[in-house]
Amino acid sequence: MFHWLEQKPFFFAVVLFLTIAFAGIIEVIPDFAKQSQPTVGTKPYTTLELAGRHVYIKDSCNACHSQLIRPFKSETDRYGMYSLSGEYAYDRPFLWGSKRTGPDLMRVGNYRTTDWHENHMMNPASVVPGTVMPAYPHMFTNIADIETAYAEAYTVKAVFGVPYDAEGMPKLGTLEEAQADAMAQAKLIAADMKNQSVKDAVANGQVPEIVALIAYLNSLK
Amino acid sequence: MDQETLLTIQGYGKFFVILFVFIVFYSYAYSIYKRQRTGERDFEKYSNLVHDDSFDSTPLEKRDNSIDKND
Amino acid sequence: MQSNAQLEYDYSIVKAFTFTTILFGIIGMLVGVILAFQLAFPELSNLAGEYGTFGRLRPLHTNGVAFGFTLSGIFATWYYVGQRVLKMSLNESKFLMTVAKLHFALYFITILLAVVTLILGITTSKEYAELEWPLDLLVVVWWVLWGVAMFGMIGMRRERTIYVSIWYFMSSFLAVAMLYLFNNMEVPTALVSGYGSVMHSVSMYAGTNDALVQWWYGHNAVAFVFTTPIIGMIYYFLPKESGQNVFSYKLSVLAFWGLMFVYLWAGGHHLIYSTVPDWMQTMGSVMSVVLILPSWGSAINMLLTMKGEWQQLQTSPLIKFMILASTFYMLSTIEGPIQAIKSVNAIAHFTDWIPGHVHDGVLGWVGFMTMAALFHMAPRIFKREIYSKSLMETQFWIQTVAIVLYFTSMWIAGITQGMMWRAYDEYGSLLYSFIDTVTVLQPYYTIRAVGGLLYLVGFFMFAYNIYKTATSGRVLDKEPVNASPMAS
Ligand code: HEC
Repeated sequence: MFHWLEQKPFFFAVVLFLTIAFAGIIEVIPDFAKQSQPTVGTKPYTTLELAGRHVYIKDSCNACHSQLIRPFKSETDRYGMYSLSGEYAYDRPFLWGSKRTGPDLMRVGNYRTTDWHENHMMNPASVVPGTVMPAYPHMFTNIADIETAYAEAYTVKAVFGVPYDAEGMPKLGTLEEAQADAMAQAKLIAADMKNQSVKDAVANGQVPEIVALIAYLNSLK
Repeated sequence: MDQETLLTIQGYGKFFVILFVFIVFYSYAYSIYKRQRTGERDFEKYSNLVHDDSFDSTPLEKRDNSIDKND
Repeated sequence: MQSNAQLEYDYSIVKAFTFTTILFGIIGMLVGVILAFQLAFPELSNLAGEYGTFGRLRPLHTNGVAFGFTLSGIFATWYYVGQRVLKMSLNESKFLMTVAKLHFALYFITILLAVVTLILGITTSKEYAELEWPLDLLVVVWWVLWGVAMFGMIGMRRERTIYVSIWYFMSSFLAVAMLYLFNNMEVPTALVSGYGSVMHSVSMYAGTNDALVQWWYGHNAVAFVFTTPIIGMIYYFLPKESGQNVFSYKLSVLAFWGLMFVYLWAGGHHLIYSTVPDWMQTMGSVMSVVLILPSWGSAINMLLTMKGEWQQLQTSPLIKFMILASTFYMLSTIEGPIQAIKSVNAIAHFTDWIPGHVHDGVLGWVGFMTMAALFHMAPRIFKREIYSKSLMETQFWIQTVAIVLYFTSMWIAGITQGMMWRAYDEYGSLLYSFIDTVTVLQPYYTIRAVGGLLYLVGFFMFAYNIYKTATSGRVLDKEPVNASPMAS
């Protein structure tokens, strides 16, 4: 039997593939349904927060920051309650990260504020001397892409049944409605900021990346 | 089907599949050494596939349908 | 030597991939060195505005070395080793030749596009799967082309038995195809909604599921890009260069199946203490430890291949590269399982020990073996003597020192930081603020950056040596059998 297989490359390939695929089938698939149940109180991101999440991904903040608090006292003391599976139910993609060059950000919204982020993102070293985090002044001028954020929210609602517009959940509606809601949320954040060009942009109906990012960071709780 | 039964099936499935692969693997190992010992097949000669690999050298075992059929 | 009537192996594709191995090697490693210096000297983070920040460059580095440098090396050696041990030439089939050329062209275009899109920040954020969906589709196309070339070549072979190196290449092809497809399942948002950027997509999986699939992929991409094809290479190039038989062909076959079966189970070790189910984490740990067996099976088989011929280690720098590569393979395959033990993982995870471990493997094992393979092929594909043996020797020592600097500093950095994060004072409050655990790493980051720089310098010496070999090495009138000829 084995001899035969060694000489038959195509059957060989099939057996090889089954051997390789086998772990995945048993390991990954059966737990899928359970893991995707949201915990009570977890809500999908608003359009503005989602746009901020895109900024976070665009600049790969996850290369240095985790969003996963492990169940150790030293971690819960530092970052807050350890992570639960259901809290990530609306995270597409997940942003756990694999390296903590900077601290965990899973619940950063609990202890950092808009103005703190504003100063820190503009120049981290001026807030925390000795940091290795890059400065992100370009976020104060780049404009966030609200339309793509809307497109994503629309897609997950249509394809995966994410409960936008449901009772007690964030409103999505049409693109115009979503843009108006995002502007309203952006205005609240800009009101807490001091950078004049950001304030002007928001007043003119544009959302700089930093505003969207801060909306996202504030939502991490 | 609820989560519990699913997990149970998964657990059993896993155990038996691992057992199966384990048996296949070791019988393969056994078959290799047995075939080498009885002289049915010399595995070590396949090292020569590396040494003797210029385009005009004769193949170690020619591909030949009459042999393939006998396997 | 060149008679026109006679068929020969065709090395044009091999040459093309050799070129990209060097090109993407330089890009990927250069970016890596920049990143290392940014962590040591953060002022360097903002020299190129948004395009030069750590987050933008990091995917460029990982993709550059994994899918640029390493994959090119794998393809180059595949088209070389594949033709030779199957005893078929691409010249014999117009179809396969075309497929191979298309494979190269599309691959090259994809990687160039990857460089551009990643710098622009177009990324899915999933590690080693950062490319957005249009590029993913391109990847699928040339991966399939590779498969067509592979099975086409196997189908045309003259040699009945398929040498074990080919098995390893086959496993890479199959496994990466499966893993890549599943992990990159994503829905392009503009197609569904009609709004927003065409490049954007959203993952099919959410949260914990996404993490599971990602690390099932991430871990095994390492297995089937950085491990199996490289083992395939060493099973060909070490016996060939040294003139020795593989110590035990039977062992090589058994280690192959052992590796195939066990490797896939170990992915769970990336998610220890996360929110994935406990049994899966435990499985990940246990299987990672079992993985030592087949890994060491191959490594020991390689080292014993040199039995009775150890003096070659002194005389041939090429043998030096390969033996050091197997040694680093042993080191990283024992280090990985250690890190997968739950209690060790609690300290090591999220720290610099992890990149330290990765670099033992990629600098020592993948890098050295790929360069050795290219060195061995150079006299055969260019029909010229290797340009300089002494340059090779120097390169070897510079890069060896580089690796040692790299991993020792990262071990210390990782363990130091891991311990500081969990240190308490006598009143039961955390002893260090986060920034304390960052500033303490500065000296280690500096040493690491110097190590990386030395490795890059060595790589430039390698590139120069290959370039000179191709253009001005002494012309050989006959293909060397074993030991590659080198001018002192
Ligand atoms: C080179 C690695 C690196 C990158 C990339 C990086 N950071 Fe940081 N970050 C750090 C370090 C180190 C600290 C801790 C010192 C400090 O506060 O600056 C930090 C701190 C922070 C904090 C404060 C957290 C706290 O609990 O005090 C926030 C918020 C933050 N980063 C957000 C971001 C965002 C958003 C991005 C992406 C745009 C980003 N970081 C990219 C390294 C990085």
